Amino acid sequence: MSQRSVLITGCGIVSAIGQDCGQVLDSLLQVRTGVGPLKYLKTEHTEFPVGEVKLSDEEMERMMNIAPGTPTTRTALMGMIALHEALGEAKLSREDLKECGFVNGTTVGGMDKSEQFYLDFIENDSRNAYISTHDCGSCSEMIADRFGRFKMITTISTACSSAANAIEMAADMIRLGEADIVVAGGSECITKFHLNGFNSLMILDHNQCRPFDAERAGLNLGEGAAFVVLEEAGHAAARNARALARLSGYGNACDAFHQTASSPDGEGAYLAMSKALKEAGLKPSDIDYVNAHGTGTPNNDESESQAMMRVFGKDLPPVSSTKSMTGHTTSASGAIETVICILALRNGFIPVNYAFEHPMENGIVPNMDLQKGCKLRHVLCNSFGFGGNDSSLVLSAVE
Amino acid sequence: MIMEKKSVKILSAKQISIQNPLCEEWMENPLNYSEDYVRAVDPDFKQFISAGDARRMGKLLKRALATSLSALQEGGIENPDAIITGTGFGSIENTELFLDALVREGEQLLKPTQFMQSTHNTASSLIGIHTHCHGYNSTYSQKGFSFDSALYDAWMQFRIGRIASALVGSHDEMSPVFSGFVRKAGHVKEGEICSEAAVSVLMAESGDNAYCTLDGVKLLDSPSEDTLKQVLADMTAGGIDAVMTGKSGNAENDSWYGFLDAMLPGIPQLRYKPLFGVNFSSSATGFYASACCLKKGGVPAVLSASGKAKECCKGILVVNVVEGRHYSFALLKPVCGR
Repeated sequence: MSQRSVLITGCGIVSAIGQDCGQVLDSLLQVRTGVGPLKYLKTEHTEFPVGEVKLSDEEMERMMNIAPGTPTTRTALMGMIALHEALGEAKLSREDLKECGFVNGTTVGGMDKSEQFYLDFIENDSRNAYISTHDCGSCSEMIADRFGRFKMITTISTACSSAANAIEMAADMIRLGEADIVVAGGSECITKFHLNGFNSLMILDHNQCRPFDAERAGLNLGEGAAFVVLEEAGHAAARNARALARLSGYGNACDAFHQTASSPDGEGAYLAMSKALKEAGLKPSDIDYVNAHGTGTPNNDESESQAMMRVFGKDLPPVSSTKSMTGHTTSASGAIETVICILALRNGFIPVNYAFEHPMENGIVPNMDLQKGCKLRHVLCNSFGFGGNDSSLVLSAVE
Repeated sequence: MIMEKKSVKILSAKQISIQNPLCEEWMENPLNYSEDYVRAVDPDFKQFISAGDARRMGKLLKRALATSLSALQEGGIENPDAIITGTGFGSIENTELFLDALVREGEQLLKPTQFMQSTHNTASSLIGIHTHCHGYNSTYSQKGFSFDSALYDAWMQFRIGRIASALVGSHDEMSPVFSGFVRKAGHVKEGEICSEAAVSVLMAESGDNAYCTLDGVKLLDSPSEDTLKQVLADMTAGGIDAVMTGKSGNAENDSWYGFLDAMLPGIPQLRYKPLFGVNFSSSATGFYASACCLKKGGVPAVLSASGKAKECCKGILVVNVVEGRHYSFALLKPVCGR
């Protein structure tokens, strides 16, 4: 079987720094952080800055023409907005979707409604419709069904690498001829559940997060959704679809170290990046930019630094963590950062690692100057999750 | 190197469910229940997990580890190339404890261990940590389609040539509180036993004493009648002895399998849900039961839904339909020369 090449022919995004690709690009070029005081989530923990999508659930329902009173969740609504943009850009109709796969990544799913209606679920029948929106799979169905029925649907839940693994699975389907088009990505809203969970693990920064900074003190939770349309090259050419980038390689590895901590030498991250490069047939020196996982926790940034230094040695390209502007969008981050990488490739710039000041000992020094007018050939996008589920994607420019 | 078609050996398959654990006693002497919510029969975990480790793990993790280690042991592989897991709810007991404390007691003093275990990929990660496997590791969470998705991914990883062995499992536990929720949501229907299951299947390109071979996996959402006919024609081209269905005795659930009566007339139908109950990992118990039939070379009467399939010489098509829209098909064949 000849090698089937995987192109990206559409992308959509909603995040704290913009509600479509154009807005996100503008924020990246203006170096504008979306992290700020809590506005939409009702929580006692107002001390933590977050990267919220600047829309209420009601506003999103109106944008997506969802009838008031329809059971839905914030994660599903954000997913719909991102998917709407991606399908529009790829010019895929409701009819076309019958031949396309859909792979979503989420972990929190419908927890925003479950934490609101939990006592109702137990005590009465007033909110029963929201029991069915709790799990991850129902979230994917709500997002997909807004636009039609796909050929198949599934959901990956590998914590903060969920969306990256969704993109990998989608690419495998295309390479094997299981489908010519698969739409993949992820969605996750901030909930009290995981804000408190990350707080219980003591990994939230009380200030704007500072990935790779010596004085970094944790992450800022973010939220959002992003989807990319992956398409076999010949199929895209035959229907005159515009290629935005090529997914030239990807790797998935397990750190196999600890449920919530990364190994000191970043073994899983090292393996994920190495596999991605090998599959792409590239040398480390071919990579012009790395969008790091870079959460801002002391543990991740140290471990990821070690892994990057092991992979790249003296050839370390510019690195930045755009979580410094979007917040950590957890399960969606792999897709959100894939879209950011595509924007960087297409517009020839290297995003800034916002808020970095002090180099850490034995760490990498991230990119602090907004470099414009660059010709980027290949970029690497890292996504690492709890449990050591580490994934890396290589995205390449198309002529 | 991508392969057009590939046959993968099922080296072992292990379950912890509402039947006696880590054995095939259910084939001869199944446990019968009159209750509508039944928790799994747990084995003695000491042979797999130290007491200290076990104290920190919820039931789902203990069962996932026990079925996995047991499957690896029987299959004679220590470090599989891939660990791929399905779970509909993840560790729902710890999720519930964290959620309950959050809602009733407010946002202070919440326990990190409960949060950690609420993440769906903890089982796959734990197995990775325990077996020191740095290879491909992923987790699927698509309701009662989670195992099917994990199996499909494993099938692709073999075909794409990335792996030579995989541990594929699906694990769901059920708390008393959530058993009420899944009834209200219709995930478990009238006449069905709300249950728990942990299943681990070891598969590899080669190996001795295999249960059977896996010869195809297909996933579909809302297929047309023509698509269903085509898939069934492709998958049964070499002949099958029986089709394993997810029929439970509930009329709505069973109606989703009506297409099999029309499109596979005369093929005996089997069902596993009356024996293993219903949960988001149910389809894994059906896959497991089918593999056991092929290993023994016969189908026990307790699995028969319609028609009689005594022999098992051509294969079993395992069909799962979730909510009348998600369809999965897995073709299991006897090992050649058996």
